[in-house]
Amino acid sequence: MNSGLNDNNPTLVAAFRAALLHQGIYVLLIFAILAVAWVSAREWLRPARAARFVTPEPAWRQLLRVGFGVIWIFDGLLQAQPAMAAGLPSQVIEPTASSSPAWVQHVVNWAGTTWSYHPIQAGASAVWIQLGIGVWLIAAPRGFWSRLAGLASVAWGLVVWVFGEAFGGILAPGLTWLFGAPGAALFYCAAGALIALPERTWRSARLGRAVLSVLGLFFIGMAVLQAWPGRGFWQGTVHGQQGTLTGMVSSMASTPQPAFLEAWVRSFASFTAAHGFAVNLFAVIALAAIGAGLLSAGLPEVGLRAPAPWLLKATVIAMVVLCLADWVLIEDLGFFGGLGTDPNSMIPMALVVVAGYLALSPAPAVVTEPAVVTEPARPEPAAAAAEPAAAAAAGSGSATAEPDPVPRRGWQAQPARLARSFGAASTGAVVAVWAVAIVLLGAAPMALAQTNRNASPIIAQAIDGDSAPMDSKAPAFTLTDQNGKQVSLASLRGKVVLLTFLDPVCTSDCPQIAQEFKGTDQVLGARARNVELVAIVANPLYRSTAYTRAFDAEQRLTKVPNWLYLTGSLAQLQQAWKNYAIAAEIVPSGGMIAHNDVAYVIDSAGYTRNELDFDPGPGTASSESSFSVELTNAAERFVRS
Amino acid sequence: MSTATLRSGTSARPRRAAPGARTAAATIIAVACLLVAGCGSKPAPSASLPAAPAPPPLTTSFAAAGGASWAVVEMGGSAAQDDNFWQVFVRPAATGGWRQMTPHGVADNGGLVVASPGSGSLVAAFRPSQLLTYTPLAASTDNGASWSSAGPLNASLASAADALAAGPNGQLMALTSGGTKAELGQRLGTTWTRLATVSSLNATPPGRACQVTGLTAAAFSGSTPMVAASCGRPGVAGIFADTAGTWHAAGPSVSGDTVDVLALAASGSGLVTLLRATSRTSASIIGAWYSGGRWTLSSPLRIGAGKLGSTALGPGGSIGVTWNAVKGATLAGPGKAWQTLPALPNRASTLALGSQVEVIVANGQTFRDYQLASGGWSLTQTLHVQIPYGSSG
Repeated sequence: MNSGLNDNNPTLVAAFRAALLHQGIYVLLIFAILAVAWVSAREWLRPARAARFVTPEPAWRQLLRVGFGVIWIFDGLLQAQPAMAAGLPSQVIEPTASSSPAWVQHVVNWAGTTWSYHPIQAGASAVWIQLGIGVWLIAAPRGFWSRLAGLASVAWGLVVWVFGEAFGGILAPGLTWLFGAPGAALFYCAAGALIALPERTWRSARLGRAVLSVLGLFFIGMAVLQAWPGRGFWQGTVHGQQGTLTGMVSSMASTPQPAFLEAWVRSFASFTAAHGFAVNLFAVIALAAIGAGLLSAGLPEVGLRAPAPWLLKATVIAMVVLCLADWVLIEDLGFFGGLGTDPNSMIPMALVVVAGYLALSPAPAVVTEPAVVTEPARPEPAAAAAEPAAAAAAGSGSATAEPDPVPRRGWQAQPARLARSFGAASTGAVVAVWAVAIVLLGAAPMALAQTNRNASPIIAQAIDGDSAPMDSKAPAFTLTDQNGKQVSLASLRGKVVLLTFLDPVCTSDCPQIAQEFKGTDQVLGARARNVELVAIVANPLYRSTAYTRAFDAEQRLTKVPNWLYLTGSLAQLQQAWKNYAIAAEIVPSGGMIAHNDVAYVIDSAGYTRNELDFDPGPGTASSESSFSVELTNAAERFVRS
Repeated sequence: MSTATLRSGTSARPRRAAPGARTAAATIIAVACLLVAGCGSKPAPSASLPAAPAPPPLTTSFAAAGGASWAVVEMGGSAAQDDNFWQVFVRPAATGGWRQMTPHGVADNGGLVVASPGSGSLVAAFRPSQLLTYTPLAASTDNGASWSSAGPLNASLASAADALAAGPNGQLMALTSGGTKAELGQRLGTTWTRLATVSSLNATPPGRACQVTGLTAAAFSGSTPMVAASCGRPGVAGIFADTAGTWHAAGPSVSGDTVDVLALAASGSGLVTLLRATSRTSASIIGAWYSGGRWTLSSPLRIGAGKLGSTALGPGGSIGVTWNAVKGATLAGPGKAWQTLPALPNRASTLALGSQVEVIVANGQTFRDYQLASGGWSLTQTLHVQIPYGSSG
C-alpha cells in the first residue's frame, strides 16, 4: 500500500510544503473575500435584526465544541508535519492494522493505497479538513450550522477511525484501554454527535445520564478486558522478556521526544517491568470503580435512587486524573516522533466524560438578545419561533423569532435579500462559512484525485528525479524481435519510441520496469497506436529469443501489440549498449547482471528527446503507476493524437 | 466553562422501572463485557495436523567413480534478504582441490540444482526467486569451466536436490510446480513436454498403490525417465519408470512407515536411492541399490525428528547424509553398515563422498573443505568466494 519512499524524501517534503503554502494562500484569499463582502454588506445594506429569544448554549456543549475544535485544529497542524505525505501509509496506517483480521487490513489497505497514489493531495487534504472542522466547531456556537459542524466531526472522525485507526484496533489482539481502545477518533465522533443534537435535548438531564451510563458500561468492559488472563498484562516480564504493557511503554519511550518526558516514561516502564501485577491490578480496580461510578448516574432511569453528588463528582475527577496519567506515562502524549497524528484518546475521552457530567445540570433559562436597529422600523409580520431564515449561511439561526421583512421564496430568494441576510450574520457565522470553505478546499482536490486511478508522477520524481531533455539523433540499431523478425529503429519512424534495456532473467528491476511500460501503454489509451514500446536485451549470456519470449510470457506482454523485445548477437547488443550508455556487466558467484535502468523517449522523426532515470525504487503499486504516468507525460508531447 | 452544580434527580420524579428493565440492564452489561472481552482475543489454535515431510535439501554432492565431483553449497548471508548465493564447486578429478564453477548471468538466490549425464557434462538450473518465475538453465561440457545458456524451463523448478535430471542426447527431466509435475525436455531444454503429474500418476495402478503426494526426485536409467515420490500409503517407496508411455512401479518395498525418496541416481548399470521412512514420532534413512533385477536395502539409520542438512552420492554407490547441523553418517555401498561420522565442524553445509569423506563448511564468503582422517576432521582447503552482497535487492 505504501509508496516505499523514505518518509522525509526531499522531493515529497518540498512538494507537500508547496501544496500547503499554495492552498494556504487560497484560504487567506477566501477569508479576505468573505470579510470584505461581509463588511460591505453591513455597511451598505445596514441590515436590522429583531430581538431574539435564545437558549444559551449549555456548558457541556460549549466544552465539547471548543475542546474538540481545538483538538481538530491541533490534529490538522500535526498532519502538516513534513513526513506525513510519504510516511502515513507505511508508518501509521499499515502498522495499526497489522494485527487485525485480513478483511480489516483489506479495508485499511485500500485507504493506504489511495493515499500512496496521491500523497501530496492526501496529506494536504487531511490538514485542511481537520483545520476547517476545528475552526467550524469553534466559530459556530449554535443553530443549524453548528449542528452541521458536529456532523462533519462525526463523518471525518469515522473516516479516521476506520481507515487511520483500523476500527480503533478493537478487532486486533491486545486490546486495552491503556493503549487507547476503542480508538481516539470514536470519541471525536461521539462529541460530534452530541454537538449535533437538537436544542430540545439540552433542557433535560437525561442526556447526561445516558452519556455517563454508556461510558460507565464501557469502563466496566475495559476493566474486564484488562483483568482477562492470558493476555500478558498481569506480568511485567515473562521469561525474561518484556510483558505486553512493559513492551508498549518501552517502545513509546524510544520515540523522539523531550528528555524529561522520556525519563518519566522509561521510569514507568521499569516500574511496570518490576511490578506488573500491581500495575495491572490498579488499572483493573480503577477502571471498574470508575465504570461503576459513571454507570450509577443512570440509576434514576431505571427507577433507582440517584447516587450522592459527591460520588459522581469524585468519579469524574478520578477518571480525569487516570486519563492524564495514562496520557503521559503510557500514551506518551501520542504526537511525538514526526508522524504523530493526534494526542491519542485520553484527552478526548476525558472531555466527553466531563461533558456528560456537566450535562446532568439543567440547561439555563431562555434569555432575550436585544434587537439591532439601524434603520426605521418597517411593518413586519408577527415573529414566529420558526426555523432560521433561508440565508442560514449566517449561522445565526436558533429557536428564536427572526422577523423577515421580505416574504420567503425558498430557492427563489432575491440576491438583495441574500446580501442583507449575509450582512446580518454574526462574526462567528462568517468565520463558520470560511471554515466550511477550508474543509471543501481540503476535500475537493482529494476527491478529484480519487477519480484518477493512476498515481501522481511526483513519486517517480522523488525516486529518480526529473527527466533530462535531449535533442540528438537516436543511434540506429537493427535487432531481432521476440518472434524472430528483424526490426530496425528506422522501421519505427513515424511513431514515438519508448526505449529501455531489460535483462530477461532479472529477478528485481526489469520485471518492474516491464510492468511500468505496460502501464504506460494503458495510460496512453488510444494514443498508444502511435507509440512503440521497445526493450533491448541487457544480458550478454541469456539473450536468445527463447528467453525474450519467456520474459514476455512471465510479464504478460505477449498480447501487447506494440511491444518489442529485441535481441541479437553479442556484438550487436554491445554496440547498442555502447550507443545508449548502457552497462551490462557479469557479476560472479551467482549475481545478477549489473546494468543501469534508463528509458528514452525517441520522437517520430528519430530524435532522442528525453532520458529518464528508471530505477524502479521500491517497486510498489503506487511507484509503478507513477513511473508509467511520468513516462506517459514525457511521451505525450511528441505523440500525434 | 460555567460552573456546574449537581442536583441529581431534580428535573423529574424518577419513574419506577419494571423489574424486567433491571434484568435487561444487567444482561446487557454482562453481554457487553463478554463481547468486549472477546474482541480481539486470539482464536483457539486448531488441532495440530501431521506435518508434511520436509523437502530434500538442495545442498548435495555427487561423485563419479574415478571422475569429477561436484557440490552445491549455499554461501553468503540471509536468504530472507536475498543475500544468500548458491555456488557450484567442482573437483575435476578424484585428486586435487575444489574449484568454484558457479555459472554466471542469473541471480541464484533461489537455489541451484545440478545434474550430470556423465563425461564431464553438467546442467545447472537456477531456481527462480523474487520476480523471476521461470527457470533459466546453463550447460557445461568441461566440468563447469565454461557454461552456455540452455533452456529455458518455463516453470518454477521444485525445491529438491534431484529435481533436475540429465539423460543422454540432451534429454532433461524437471520437477516443477512444487513437485506436482514432471516435464521432459529435449535438446537441453529447448522444448518441453508434460511427462506426468501427481494426479496422472495416481490414476495408474502403481500410483494408486503408492498414493503419491508429491514428486521428489528425477533420474534417467539409460534413456528411461524415472521419477520418485512421497507415498501416502505406508510401506511403499514411490519410484516409477516410464516405459513407452506407461508408468511402472520400480521401487523397493519398505515395511512399516510412509516413505519418501530423497535422492535417486543412476549408479553403474543400476540405481542408487536414499529413502526417508517416517513414523509419527521419528524418521529413518535407508539406502537402497538396484542391480541385477533386485533391490538391496540398508539397515535404517534413525535420525529422530532431525532436520536434514545434505545428501551425498559417491562412487560405488556410496551414500551419505547429514542432519541436525552436526550429525552425519555414510554407507560405503550395498551390504555395508552405516558409519557414524564424528561431530561435524561448525556451519557444515555439504557432505561430499569421493576418495575421502569430506564436509564443506560455508561461512559468508569463506569455503572450507574438511576431510575425515584418523577419527577427526582435518582442514584441507580454504577458498575465498567473492559474494555479491546486495546485488539482488
